[in-house]
Amino acid sequence: MSQTQTIQIGQRETTFFGKLRLKIARRTEGRAVILLAVVLIVVSLTEPLVFTAYQVSLGRIALIGLVALGLTAVILMGELDLSVASTLAVSGVVMALIPDVRLGVVVALGVGLLIGLINGFFVAVVGINSFIATLGMLFALRGLAFILSDEAPVRIVDTDAGIAFGLALIGPLTPRVLIFILAFVVLQIFVSRVKAGREFFAVGGNRQAAYDAGIPVKRRIFTGFMISGFVASLAGVINTLERTAADPRAGLTVLLASFAAAIIGGNYLKGGRGSIVGTLIGATALGVLQVAFTLSGVQVPVQEIFIGLILLLAVTTDPANLRAVLGSIRSVLQGRLKFQS
Amino acid sequence: MAKETLTEVITVANSGEADVKKSRSALPWIADNGIFIFTALLLLFAAVFVDGFASLANITDVFHRAAPIGIVAAGMTFVVISGNYLDLSVVAQVATSAVIMLAVSNLYGVPIAMLAALGAAMMYALVNGIAVGYFKANAVIVTLSTTYIGVGVLRFFSGGSIFFGPEDGPIRAFGASKLGPIPYSAIVLIIVTILLAFVLNRTNFGFVVRSFGSNESATRLGGVNTGLVIIGAFFVTALAAMVAGWVLAAFSNTAVSSMSTGYDFQALAAIIVGGTSVFGGKGSVFRTLLGVIFVSVLTNVLVISNISFGYQQVALGVLIVVAVTVDALSRKVGKR
Repeated sequence: MSQTQTIQIGQRETTFFGKLRLKIARRTEGRAVILLAVVLIVVSLTEPLVFTAYQVSLGRIALIGLVALGLTAVILMGELDLSVASTLAVSGVVMALIPDVRLGVVVALGVGLLIGLINGFFVAVVGINSFIATLGMLFALRGLAFILSDEAPVRIVDTDAGIAFGLALIGPLTPRVLIFILAFVVLQIFVSRVKAGREFFAVGGNRQAAYDAGIPVKRRIFTGFMISGFVASLAGVINTLERTAADPRAGLTVLLASFAAAIIGGNYLKGGRGSIVGTLIGATALGVLQVAFTLSGVQVPVQEIFIGLILLLAVTTDPANLRAVLGSIRSVLQGRLKFQS
Repeated sequence: MAKETLTEVITVANSGEADVKKSRSALPWIADNGIFIFTALLLLFAAVFVDGFASLANITDVFHRAAPIGIVAAGMTFVVISGNYLDLSVVAQVATSAVIMLAVSNLYGVPIAMLAALGAAMMYALVNGIAVGYFKANAVIVTLSTTYIGVGVLRFFSGGSIFFGPEDGPIRAFGASKLGPIPYSAIVLIIVTILLAFVLNRTNFGFVVRSFGSNESATRLGGVNTGLVIIGAFFVTALAAMVAGWVLAAFSNTAVSSMSTGYDFQALAAIIVGGTSVFGGKGSVFRTLLGVIFVSVLTNVLVISNISFGYQQVALGVLIVVAVTVDALSRKVGKR
């Protein structure tokens, strides 16, 4: 009875290479792959120890990557969560303050969800720009971490649990790495296979169109911020357990690296484009780079400069940014030509 | 002639703004004028209930601490009004300027140090401005990265050490001088505020910055080189941060790479509380001065009441969120 109409947009590629070309053109991870290739080549020539001590590298990648994964969920919708660094610190301190480890973990993760809820409220309901709202939260929560911890690192009560947590569980993989892999798989499935996750792209690409199409935009924004808050608090819990102490100052260096990982992974800051896989590749590149720096004894300021430069490069070399530059150069040139003629 | 046509184009494009004033809700009024009442109330409260606030020494201290933040905030108002949220890298800029001022003047004298600081400020303005203006990159992320690059470079070259100025040098003399209870640094703040208010309200550049903030595409279609406007806004911020670095160096006669931590945030709080909109296009430098007074007095009250650093940060963070919320809600009310 009902007639199905298929609308064909563009030409259908039939040859194998044509399909392959189309597949590659659709991917967004190009820059992350390039960075990873450069980093791997340089590191394998200068500091092969990174691969021998792969447990350290994996731990570092998991630390950067976990926070970056949560950020990706928010960035896909064109929002940004600057408060992740403080969420990490607050949830770590909360966990360390509660004597029972299990209860502490649950409460800390709840704190992360609550922070995500507050961020989502300001962005989706009040309508504040997420950059400013989460910046306010970044400082307010850091203050909260200082208050709760009396401005000093808090040791966890059950140190045995922390030490056990640092040991390898399956083969060479520590629980931290396993949790990271689990988070990656869950988020990848959520974003690429689940309806709610796929709608993140629609919300980021064109919010009005998504709203008109009946997508619950506000609920998706809430979901995104709660994912990023939850994942950040998960990172805080893992950090606290591994170090058997919670530092209220934690998270600031992770903030920069995880932003760089998410942005260079091809996630467009205005939303609608990106992938979880890209974030993973970006986090791998940055984690390997950081471990290589540490192992070869590069000074901390130089490391900061490098990570800052990568973030600056990541945020300026997005295809959309490059198009903007080309556009302005062209308009300047055209203006000149018209003026002369 | 050209300026007048541009004015017309942009005035027509912005004529929707007039509707905001017709609204009957109290929120837009609070967003516009609340700061006057809140500052007065805070001053009254501090003078009556807080022991040790209304002493001459404390007032001078408030001026001393408010001056560098106020100068930074006055400059950063340009970036905020142009609709680019904020310039986080002022932290690095102030510290760079202060360290250059003391380190270079010890070797080559004050004029050379001033030129070197100017060079550093221009570098910051160019990198931030080109990335934001021509690459259309997000200002928060760009300035976050330049903060780390700048602080990293500074710590690399200074080795993290503290620089001291000579006890009898001109820098120390400036930092210690006072006009009655008002230190010279506060006078610099007032001069900078008046100067920047003039630039923002009375010059072509200031007009274009404001129009860019309220309607970017109309400004571009009016024939303005918008990339240059952004670079200009970041340049004003960098110049102000440079002067703030000098004032800070003169006040303490020491300089270290971590001396301006938190300036980005306090300056932003002052700007937003003053009533400059983070959505761009609306605001003034005098309002920022008022916001600086509010934030500085609040911080001072918290400090002399022995309230810990954590609570101060929470207070400032909540202040920013509340101020932005009022601004956002008043816009929503205005549109209905």
